Amino acid sequence: MIRTMNIELKGRIDSGNAPKIEEELLEQLKDNGKEPVILDAAELNYISSAGLRVILRIKKTYTDLSIINVNSDVYETFEMTGFTEMMHIEKAYKVVSIEGCEEVGRGANGTIYRIDKDNVVKVYNNADALEDIQHEREVAKLALILGIPTAISYDVVRVGESYGSVFEFLNAQSFAKIMVNEPDKLDWCVQEFVKMLKIIHSTVVPEGKLPDMKETALKWAQRTSEELPAQAGEKLIRLFEEVPRDNHMIHGDYHTKNLVFQNDEVLLIDMDTLAVGHPVFELGPIYNALQGFSEYDHDVIIDFQGYNYDTATTFWKKFLALYLKTTDEKIIRDVENKARIVGYSRLIRRTLRKGDLTLEKTQKEIALWKERLLELLEVTDTLIFDEPADEINNNELEIEAKAENLNTVLDFVDKKLEAVGCSPRTQMQVDLAVEEIFINIAHYAYAPGIGNAIIRADINDNNSQLKLTFIDRGMPYDPLKREDPDLTLPADERDIGGLGIFMTKKSVDDISYEYRDGCNILVVKKNL
Amino acid sequence: MIFDENKVNRIDFHMHTTVSDGTDTPEQIIGIVRDAGITLFSVADHDSIKSSVMIKKLLTENDPGFFSGVEFSCRDDEGKYHILGYGYDTNAESLKKITEFTHNNRMKKARLRLEYIKADYGFEFPREEIENLLRMDNPGKPHIGNLMVKYGYAPTKEIAIKDYINKLRVRTDYIRPETAIEGILAAGGVPVLAHPAYGDGDQLIIGDELDKRIKKLKDFGLEGVECFYSGFTVKLIRDAMSLADKYGLYITAGSDYHGSNKMVELGDTGLDYTKDFPESLHKFIRRVMQ
Repeated sequence: MIRTMNIELKGRIDSGNAPKIEEELLEQLKDNGKEPVILDAAELNYISSAGLRVILRIKKTYTDLSIINVNSDVYETFEMTGFTEMMHIEKAYKVVSIEGCEEVGRGANGTIYRIDKDNVVKVYNNADALEDIQHEREVAKLALILGIPTAISYDVVRVGESYGSVFEFLNAQSFAKIMVNEPDKLDWCVQEFVKMLKIIHSTVVPEGKLPDMKETALKWAQRTSEELPAQAGEKLIRLFEEVPRDNHMIHGDYHTKNLVFQNDEVLLIDMDTLAVGHPVFELGPIYNALQGFSEYDHDVIIDFQGYNYDTATTFWKKFLALYLKTTDEKIIRDVENKARIVGYSRLIRRTLRKGDLTLEKTQKEIALWKERLLELLEVTDTLIFDEPADEINNNELEIEAKAENLNTVLDFVDKKLEAVGCSPRTQMQVDLAVEEIFINIAHYAYAPGIGNAIIRADINDNNSQLKLTFIDRGMPYDPLKREDPDLTLPADERDIGGLGIFMTKKSVDDISYEYRDGCNILVVKKNL
Repeated sequence: MIFDENKVNRIDFHMHTTVSDGTDTPEQIIGIVRDAGITLFSVADHDSIKSSVMIKKLLTENDPGFFSGVEFSCRDDEGKYHILGYGYDTNAESLKKITEFTHNNRMKKARLRLEYIKADYGFEFPREEIENLLRMDNPGKPHIGNLMVKYGYAPTKEIAIKDYINKLRVRTDYIRPETAIEGILAAGGVPVLAHPAYGDGDQLIIGDELDKRIKKLKDFGLEGVECFYSGFTVKLIRDAMSLADKYGLYITAGSDYHGSNKMVELGDTGLDYTKDFPESLHKFIRRVMQ
């Protein structure tokens, strides 16, 4: 157990008492070595900038500093001044009661209750859930920045002895529920299920932001291989090891309860398993959710998803064909085999760890999965498969923001435009805007350092509009805030700069800027 | 002078001496700056250019690079500001006029306070002590507080200020920001807004409010913003830099070191000395080193 130093902050801290409080804090901390320091701000009502500087100076000496129980006014001050980016600062939690609330969902990590008309709370099973909650919020935010529609919890609350995340959730229905209540919507569900999965799998995740699924999957293979004859076991591990590293996102627990339809929008939820990796590591668990789990006892899926095994089988077949964009049975069967190898490996390890091995049913389940896994290993020599070429796949370019890369960016955008046969004039106007914006990012966003820019190019369904999104994580800067130059002045009296962005505005149909979660996001629309 | 623009430099353009509320004399601070590894510095005492005048005369070849500095406390209907002035001519009439005004104001306040504690509490000091006090460049509440402790009227300086001296509200005749800016410009100096997000040191001015403030001061002739400041977070530095960029202003860096009065180290400005400085900071240095 790590010893921590807890100190209370009380009342106000302003220029009147800041030096005295600093002295007192340093006095209390003087024997403290490297132990974490926690400032409890439950009774702190106000902090001025003189107080902020005290905190900053303490942080310079005692780097492992956090502040807890911060009331919302004080938290706002910390947030506006960037303190929340520099150290762990935790709000005081509201207490929410779930007595008499309708249970609307149940997942691996917690139970979801509706607390009023517009809000639900996900109460975590684990009493020490704060870290899980923090992790899920962070990955959900990351997913949202990267363009994946998801619900972000807007508050963390205390629920009894545990914690909960509060989400705004109006009339949301899970895909599982839709399939049960409106069986004729199965095809639509498959389509949307694939569409979302393609978005996830085409999303490039910046290095180090999410765990690597391959490492987790290797654990499945290792444990399962111990149950197999030596040669088969070695082959299983080799197949997993040979899957190349991949920096695209995977959800990790993708099934019909984790996709919800809300206000005409499909949202992905339960983000705590987000990772990066090859899509085969996603297809395995999808196979499990729809087939593997209930392969021995077909009734298992009714408890889990609500619909029956036949529906699940139809869904899986249609899903895989659409995901692979083919009707070629051979290709589909081949990828299915790969997914099943991953799926069974996971199921066997999971059941060995968590299942009741004294039950005859459990033993028979494992035996069945093992038998099928061995059959599949006979006929499979690689887990790798080619993802079908898909527009979504190359809708995004992540590139180092430097002027030399301008031509690559222009090529990327021009290819999009050429594919829909746009006029040279429009193309020139778009290029002008791209050049101005990209060069701006290259020169200023990370100066004097360097960093990446993400350029997304989306063309709408009827090819009538191009939407370009420029994302960088550099210094916040809203180019649209610059006033338009006074064009009535002679050229040599005009301000330098400002003209570029002015011309960009003139050459496109819509331009908007937003700073969100550490990203400058500039969206440009051009009618084609 | 040991400053060389092409080498890695540690810099600090905002520190105080005993001419205002610092604890190191101008003589001492040169050595302290040199020992801290700083290669270019300025002092910015409150409302006085005396330390700059003294240091200019004391510098030798082996000392860090130096240019003149000052920090004026200003106020207008919209709030309080600290305006820094750098690289001005120490003989200029325009700054003499302003510092005479601010110095007289301080003297007046010191006399009022001494009269008040004598009349209301009967605290008296030997004539010699009072003469010494009034000969200081910058006698303020702490100095009077120290005297009270010395003669047994209060247990600590803080209590002296809080329970006695502060009972009398003394009006400060602030100069307006445009007066400071114009005075600095007339002396050939560069006017810079100190610790932009913190106003006069104890406020929080960010976002649009700060944008408006800088725009107004720029219209008065402001040429720079102290973007790097010991009390700033990364975000406050970034925000200030984007405003400096937006309005085409120089960038400066300062710790606001006060000696043993505040826990701030020389050279602690938030600048990463291992990286190249922002261009607007280089430009500022070139401008004041002319």
